[in-house]
Amino acid sequence: MKVPYAYLAHQFADSERIFQRVRELTETGDYTLGRPVQEFESMLAVRLGIVHAIGVGSGTDGLKLALKAAGVGPGDEVVTAANTFIATIGAINDLGARPVLVDCDDSFCLDPDKLEDVLTSRTKAIVPVHLTGNMADMPRIMAIAGAHGLPVIEDACQALMSSLDGRFAGCWGLAGVFSLHPLKFINIWGDGGVIVTNDGRIGSDLRLLRNHGLADRDTVVTLGYNSRLDSLQAVVAAHVFQTADEIVRQRNQNAKFYDTELSGLDGIRVPPRRSHVTHTFVTYQLFARDRQRLLEHCLANGVDCKVHYPVPVYLQPALRCLGYEAGRFPVADRHARTVITLPVHEYLTEEQLAYTVEVIRRFYAQGAHDASCPLH
Amino acid sequence: MRRVRYIDLSAQFREEQAELMPRIEQVLASGVVIGGPEIDALETELAAYCGVAHAVALNSGSDALALGMTVAGVKPGDEVITPPNSFVASTSSITRIGAVPVFADVRDDELLDPAAVEASITPRTVAIMPVHLRGAVCDMDALWRIARRHNLLIIEDAAQAMGTSYRGSRTGTLGTVGCFSAHPLKNFNAAGDAGFLTTGSREAAERARRLRNSGLKDRDTVVEWGVISRMDALQAAILRLRLRRLDGVIARRRANTATYRELLADLPLWLPHEPPDEFHTYHNFVVQCDTRDALQSALAESGIEAFVHYARPIHWQPAAKELGYREGQFPVTERLSRRILSLPIHQFLSAEDLHYVGSGIRRFFTERS
Repeated sequence: MKVPYAYLAHQFADSERIFQRVRELTETGDYTLGRPVQEFESMLAVRLGIVHAIGVGSGTDGLKLALKAAGVGPGDEVVTAANTFIATIGAINDLGARPVLVDCDDSFCLDPDKLEDVLTSRTKAIVPVHLTGNMADMPRIMAIAGAHGLPVIEDACQALMSSLDGRFAGCWGLAGVFSLHPLKFINIWGDGGVIVTNDGRIGSDLRLLRNHGLADRDTVVTLGYNSRLDSLQAVVAAHVFQTADEIVRQRNQNAKFYDTELSGLDGIRVPPRRSHVTHTFVTYQLFARDRQRLLEHCLANGVDCKVHYPVPVYLQPALRCLGYEAGRFPVADRHARTVITLPVHEYLTEEQLAYTVEVIRRFYAQGAHDASCPLH
Repeated sequence: MRRVRYIDLSAQFREEQAELMPRIEQVLASGVVIGGPEIDALETELAAYCGVAHAVALNSGSDALALGMTVAGVKPGDEVITPPNSFVASTSSITRIGAVPVFADVRDDELLDPAAVEASITPRTVAIMPVHLRGAVCDMDALWRIARRHNLLIIEDAAQAMGTSYRGSRTGTLGTVGCFSAHPLKNFNAAGDAGFLTTGSREAAERARRLRNSGLKDRDTVVEWGVISRMDALQAAILRLRLRRLDGVIARRRANTATYRELLADLPLWLPHEPPDEFHTYHNFVVQCDTRDALQSALAESGIEAFVHYARPIHWQPAAKELGYREGQFPVTERLSRRILSLPIHQFLSAEDLHYVGSGIRRFFTERS
C-alpha cells in the first residue's frame, strides 16, 4: 500500500467547477487585484471575524510587509522562534532587521517562559509562529508584549483556521499572516498569502505596500513592493476555503486516530494536546525514538513521511552571522533529532491510516531501532 | 458609438482558449504547482529566445529588478542611475535593496540620455539601469562606453521590452542582467504576476534561483537569506504557450503602428522613432503633442481609451520626497509628462478600429484649427 504525502492531484481531480470559475475570470481579464481578490479577502475577514484581509504574493512577503507596516527597519531586533521555517527569518532579514531567537516547547511554538529574557531596548516586534497548525500561547505572549509596548505580528502561515479559546490564529496581534502555499491548509495553485489586521492604518499601509505604494494610478506615496495575490489564485482560494470546516474536521479525525493508536507505543511520544486549542494539523508530528531509521522504514514501506525540519533554523549556514552556537536551543535541537511528520491530509482512507499505524508498530516491534536513542 | 479599448485580454483568451485550458489542467493534474518541469522548460525556452545563457523565472518584474541587481553585485548604499520617467518599480526596486536611486534625464524619445548618465556619476555609482520603455531600446553602445569607462554594471529594465532588439541582439543580452515582467498588461503576459531575469553568468543564475526560494540550496540548507519569488508553474505553462505566439503578437502590433504612421503622418504629433538597427515591440504606442489633455478627452468622448504612462514623473511622487529632487531638475521628463499619450495598439484591433482612432485624432486637430 502507498500512503502519499502529496494530495494536490487528488484535490483538484474533480476540477470542472473550479475550471468554470477560472474560465469566467479569464474572460474578464481581471487578473490583478480585481474583484476575485476583494471577494476572497472579505470572505476570509468575515469568517475570522477581523476587519481587514489583504491578499499578498506569499506568506513570506506577508510577514515582511506586516513587519514593515509595524515600523520594523534596519538594525531593529525582531524576536521569533528558534525552530521556525526559514522564511520567517528571511522576511526579518530582508528588512535589514536582526532576528533574535527563542526556544520552542513541545507545542512546536515559542516558549513564553523564555521570551522576556531576550527583549532589549532594540526589540521592535515579536513574531510568534503557530507552527504545524498548532497555536502559540497567545494570551501570555500578548501580555508580555503589552507590558513592553511591543507589537506582535503572528506568523500564522501554517495556522489558518487554528484557534485558541475560540479566537483564530492571526487575530490576536497587531497583524497575522497566512500562507496559501500548495502544502498549506487552504492551498492555491502557486504562491500566495494573506495578512489580517483590525488596525485601519496598518490595513491601508499594507494595501499600498503590496502594490508599488500606489494610492491611485498616478500617485506613489511610498516606495513599496509588488506583492499581490493573483486574481486567479484568489478564485482557487475562495473555492477551497468553502470546504475549510470540513478539512479541519477530517484532519482532526485523522490526527485523533494516530494519537489514539500510537500513544501507548514504546518509542513514540505524542505531543501534548490542549483542549482549548483547535489544531488544524497542517502537519502531524510525533516524537520518535531512532527517528532516522523509522523514517527510512516508513519510506521503504510506502508511507511518505517527512521531517519538519532536520536542521533547526538557528544552525543554518545563513544564520551563522548571528553567532548562535549548537546547543543554544535544546528543545529545538531535540525536535530536529526526534520529530517525524506523518501524512494526515483529508484524502487519506481509513485503510491508509491503519496501514501507517501498522508500519510504525512493526518497526518498534521488530526491534529494528536503536533503543538507546533518546526520545526526550 | 464604436468603442476602442486600450487592452483586450478577453479577446486574447478566446483566441487561445482551446490550447490554454488543457495546459492548465495538465499542470493541476501533475500536482506540481511550484517549480518543476514547466518552470525548467520555460527557463530554457526563454534563454533560447533571448539568446542568453540563463533565464530565471520569478514572481514579478519588480522582483526581477531587485534580485537582478543583487546577483549582479549591487549592494546597500550603492548608487544606481535610472530615469525618472519609468513605472515606479524601477526606482522602488533600488530602494528596496537599500541602494540609492540617482535620476538622469531622458532624450525626447523618452529613453535614458547617455550624456545625462555620465553627468550623474559619482564615486558611489555602481550601476546604470536603462529602461527600455514602451518596447523601444536604449542607446546601449553609448551606455556601455560609459559603463566600461567607469567600471559600472548595466541592469536592463526590459519589463516592457521582451523581444525587442538592438543591432541584432535581443534585450536580456544587452546588460549585465536583464529584468523582465510578464504582467497581464505586457505583450508577453501571464494571467497574474510573473517575471524573470536573464544573465550570461551561471553563478548569478544559480544565486538567483537560491534567492527566489528562501536561499535554500537544497531542501534543508539555507546558505544565505532569500525571499519567496517563484513564478507559479501555472503561469509558466501559460507563458510557454504565449512564447510560441509572441513573434506573432509583436508582428501584429508593429503592423498596427505602420497603419497609424500612415494615418497620422501629416498631423502635429510626434510619433515614435525606430532607428534602422533597432527592433521596437510596441508595448505602448506613445505619441506626443502640445494639447495632450484636450486630445485625450476628445478621444474619450469618441469611445477611444488612451492613457498617460506616466502622468507624474517619479521624482514628483510623494514617496520620492526623501530622495531630495526638486521640480525643474529633469526638464525633458517633466515636459514629456505633459505631452505623452498612449494610443491603443494591441494585437486585437481591427483595421476599422485603427481608422476610427486615426480619424478621431484628425477630427480633433481639424476642429481646433
